[in-house]
Amino acid sequence: MLILSIGPDAIIKGSVDIGPTNDSKNLKKLKNYLKKVSKEKEIVIYCGCCPFDKCPNIRPAFTALKDAGFKNSKLLNLPKNIKVDWIDKGYPVKE
Amino acid sequence: MIMKQLLLSISILCLSGNLFAQDSLTIGQNAPEISLSDIDGTAFTLTSLKGKVVLIDFWASWCAPCMKEQPELKNLYEKFIDSVKADKFEIVGVSLDKDRENWKKGVKRFKTEWVHVSDLLFWKSPIAKDYKLEGLPYNVLIDENGVIIAINLHGNELENAIQNHFNKKEE
Repeated sequence: MLILSIGPDAIIKGSVDIGPTNDSKNLKKLKNYLKKVSKEKEIVIYCGCCPFDKCPNIRPAFTALKDAGFKNSKLLNLPKNIKVDWIDKGYPVKE
Repeated sequence: MIMKQLLLSISILCLSGNLFAQDSLTIGQNAPEISLSDIDGTAFTLTSLKGKVVLIDFWASWCAPCMKEQPELKNLYEKFIDSVKADKFEIVGVSLDKDRENWKKGVKRFKTEWVHVSDLLFWKSPIAKDYKLEGLPYNVLIDENGVIIAINLHGNELENAIQNHFNKKEE
């Protein structure tokens, strides 16, 4: 499984820091990164800045994944943000 | 013996409950200290503003609703500019940005001239924990002694709270 951070910081341990994908520079980075990845790979993306309806990064990243043909891509369920739904729960974070 | 064990487990449960509780701040309590660098890299502490009413605004350049609120806060700052000049009022913008350049751009965009501080740690910032933040934008209004007098008010409600506090002082 590949975990990609498409928000301001790759907080989750073991995740790859792409950067906020509302920035075209980072969206390009994501697309380039995906070129090396098998289409069958399970990919989980997360941002965690804000509730989903306020997040500017998820939609462009998810669209890029779908357009590139990744069928096994998922969005991590962080309804409020990465603090409340991950850090405060004591889940593993990058040092 | 069983009773003793039961009591012990109950007290452990209560204790762990307290440890993990994420209850919010309350009006009347002292605002947790903020000790961070400002946008020029100079050390800043919230207690250095003792004697002023302070609006602590938690925001980030990546937070769309926060950016939308910045011009409103700028208007508010202008309304109370005489109090700012008389050392009676200040705004402290605590940014949860991660990237210094984005933080600076966010400040520059609206030319907000109050105090700007950040540790650039995004949601990992200890300040987010101290102030029990659960989302942005969020703010805390404190009085001259650093006591919380309002929590998360916006627009007219926020302006009225500040004005009411100053009116009360004059009475």
